[in-house]
Amino acid sequence: MAPRSITITTEWKKPVPNVDHDNEVFWEGLKQHKLMLWTCKTCGARYWPKAYCQNHDNEPFADDCEWRESSGRGRIFAFNIHEWAFQPGFKDEVPYVYALVELDEGPLISSQLVGDNQPSDVHNVGQRVEVVYEDHPNEGFTLPKFQIVSD
Amino acid sequence: MIDAGLKRTDIGGAIDLRRTGGAGDRANYTDAYSRVLGLRNCFYFTVGRGGALAGLGMAAAMSFLDRGIAKYVVLMGAVTDWSQTQQIRKKGYRGMANREKAGYWGKPLGDIQAASHHSWMAARHMATYGTTSAQLGAIAVAQRSWACLNPEAKMYGRPITIDDHQNSPIVINPYHLLDMSQISDGGIAFILTTADRAKDSPRAPVYVLGQGFGEVSADLWWEKKNFTHMAVATAKEQAFGQADVTLSDVDCAQLYDCFTAEVLFQIEDYGWCKKGEGGPFVAAGNIGPGGTVPINTSGGLLSCYHLGDLTGLAESVRQLRGEAGERQIQDCDIVMTTGHGGELVSPGMCSIHTCTLLGRHG
Repeated sequence: MAPRSITITTEWKKPVPNVDHDNEVFWEGLKQHKLMLWTCKTCGARYWPKAYCQNHDNEPFADDCEWRESSGRGRIFAFNIHEWAFQPGFKDEVPYVYALVELDEGPLISSQLVGDNQPSDVHNVGQRVEVVYEDHPNEGFTLPKFQIVSD
Repeated sequence: MIDAGLKRTDIGGAIDLRRTGGAGDRANYTDAYSRVLGLRNCFYFTVGRGGALAGLGMAAAMSFLDRGIAKYVVLMGAVTDWSQTQQIRKKGYRGMANREKAGYWGKPLGDIQAASHHSWMAARHMATYGTTSAQLGAIAVAQRSWACLNPEAKMYGRPITIDDHQNSPIVINPYHLLDMSQISDGGIAFILTTADRAKDSPRAPVYVLGQGFGEVSADLWWEKKNFTHMAVATAKEQAFGQADVTLSDVDCAQLYDCFTAEVLFQIEDYGWCKKGEGGPFVAAGNIGPGGTVPINTSGGLLSCYHLGDLTGLAESVRQLRGEAGERQIQDCDIVMTTGHGGELVSPGMCSIHTCTLLGRHG
């Protein structure tokens, strides 16, 4: 089953993503509903964000690595519930869950939980989550968010 | 300079201590305080990474002293965070929006303030070791008790209980308001010189016995243990090795305490108790007035004021000089003070840990 996606066309009043030379492939992947991880072609180790492979020398910098698609599935490693909106753009969203997700491939990634689950549905670390692609066509970017799924 | 009995012309160099990890760029008179003060120093530059200011600045200053480039170096840090947050609050922001760098990975996703990600550390420690919010509250209560013995503390005269902590607003669950540090206006300056020159000082000097450093990103910048540990191992080994002392020689400790969990981690990482047992350790009253390990005796960042690790350094000097009034630790010979700070990079904490051991005797 393809991961869920959401399209939002209302005006974006929050900070915008920081797209740069090192992560532009990652952000392009999101637009195609792919969560990309930096992968060592020699040993298969997965990293996010881009980095040297820790397992062996790969001069020049990360030369033997490439972006490959992740399963988009993982578990909550840690989470919090924002009761206060520190930035006015989040006023309508509090309380929201901001979670650190341990992807099945190993790397950690963080994002907001969305979907039908309420903050009260998030009970502990270890809960299963899956990526949700939140498209912002007017802004030209897609954000990877997560929702709780059953094991 | 007055305290040290020095003239402006004695100062050979100056260091500006500033959080460079956040959007710390300013352009005001304190940016060039050495000019404002009329110092004729031969060097002036900025040092600092998040809240790790004094520890890094001292290490830099000592190399200039050791080489004889300067006889005295002045180090100063100053913030106007409180005033700035009052301004930005009018635009609907809360907390130190003026300090948080644009472009962090989590910004569009709701990771707006330091507590947005630091609270994961508390959450992870709770999930891994069963630590409770009330146990973190014991840290806030102990430090508030110290602050109530310190007339300079912002929270002087305002004692709290565990119930107060538990009933304070949940800002970012699991953190209550009383798990979070102060936002302050203020400045602290100190002067470093060589031990032989310090002997001529009109006031009792304080000696740097040892310094050590650690980086949580030494292995991987998103290393998972960083959410329950701080980079204490190398810092402790280096500082205690130079000073040739052990943890039991430390009379009181000023641990970097941007949030309560950072104190808990350091208590475990330095070895006052085992990893995971920090909750019961602080709940038993070990760190407050009258406890076995006095920690953050000024009230710390949580209850005194927030000037990065300068808060702990200033308190260390007071304790070693015997100037800490009602909160004075008897026969205080050795104080440990730590710093912490860095960047949040997608989504790993990339932070340095600094450990400085200071002594009443050289």
